[in-house]
Amino acid sequence: MDMSGLNMLAGWHGAGDIIMIEQMPIMGGYTGGPEETAICDVAATIASFALFNCDIHLDGPIHIRWGTTTTRETLQVAAHTAMALDYNTDLLLGNQYYTLAGPCTEMCLLETAAQALVDTASGRELLSGVASSKGTVQDKTTPMEARIMGEASMAACGMSIPEINRIVDNIVSRYEGNYLHPPTGKRFQECYNIHDLVPSDEYLETYDSALRILSDCGIDF
Amino acid sequence: MTARNYIDVYETYDRFAEGKKVSEKEWDYTIIPRNAQMMKERYEIDFGRTILPTDQDLVDRLFIAGVDMLITTGIFNPDLGTALSIEEDEIYEGLKMAPKKLKLGRGKDKCSCKARRGNTLRKPVIQGGPTGAPVSEGIFTQMIESYAQEPTVDTIVSGVLNTVDGHPASTNTPWEIKATMAEVRYNREATRRAGRPGMCI
Repeated sequence: MDMSGLNMLAGWHGAGDIIMIEQMPIMGGYTGGPEETAICDVAATIASFALFNCDIHLDGPIHIRWGTTTTRETLQVAAHTAMALDYNTDLLLGNQYYTLAGPCTEMCLLETAAQALVDTASGRELLSGVASSKGTVQDKTTPMEARIMGEASMAACGMSIPEINRIVDNIVSRYEGNYLHPPTGKRFQECYNIHDLVPSDEYLETYDSALRILSDCGIDF
Repeated sequence: MTARNYIDVYETYDRFAEGKKVSEKEWDYTIIPRNAQMMKERYEIDFGRTILPTDQDLVDRLFIAGVDMLITTGIFNPDLGTALSIEEDEIYEGLKMAPKKLKLGRGKDKCSCKARRGNTLRKPVIQGGPTGAPVSEGIFTQMIESYAQEPTVDTIVSGVLNTVDGHPASTNTPWEIKATMAEVRYNREATRRAGRPGMCI
């Protein structure tokens, strides 16, 4: 935590604001593999409340090679961290979404749905997304990705952990072979009518196709 | 030992100011990897290939490992070049201060964020938006409005303006502040246009 962060916290704390602290551990970096990263993630989350007085924490384990939150390893870090904290505290926990594929692609929607299942089943209270195309390309995010995040989350509520594990394993195996050449997708202006703010027919067809795949994997929408 | 009090942000600063001197290089390359590895071995943390854990004992050991990691390692402040320390009782005292529920937003657009405790039937809060991704100035309000009109979206997470009044919103310049102020205005305008003026941003 640097002094800018600390000083902003002092201002917000004094003003009585609701404070959300965001912290994204890099899996495969200084912290090492999934287990070590999860240990650091638990420690940093606890510090966000016990030292920096936040009200809700926003996680986001990122894969050092792919720059996304939706890989098998980063989902594993997020799930274990959330369940360790959920079973032992009442802290409010969120997670954020960085996909490899861009909007208007099945892969982007499958990545998002897989993470929504994991975050919901591991007891998180808030899902925040989606920064498609790793959140780095201008205008390459659309509300359709947020829609699948919400729909998948609602479908996952109440399901057993072994069942979610089986479904997520199936979904991830359908996109993890595309990491070297992910579909780049389209910009918001190409996916939405900018005046009426409605999604394009192409995106609706892609969305329906992703829903069919997810249903085949075992999600009951 | 019983904690005197919970640690607020001012006490945190004092602890940084009086903390042990350590270089960023030593923190990143030696202290963090060494201690994380030590905790992994001490608490026998092994995920195998399972994405969501089904072993309750492993989950509890991971929590204790995280607490131990924080006590053993502390937190680093790169500006001061120091690391603070915290005791176990102070951690639990701080966790008691954390809210178990929050109200996000105002009026009819307000939503409740409550501790779920496992995979309950109550859905999480859905925060929709570009999540810090760069967005063109010319479409910023329309893009956020399109998120606000989604029925599954409860609150908004903003994107980042690349430019403000045509100027690059460069880090650590007044343009960055101007861009941030503009983002706040555009987000609020977008939720109003979507008919959800009290939506949390």
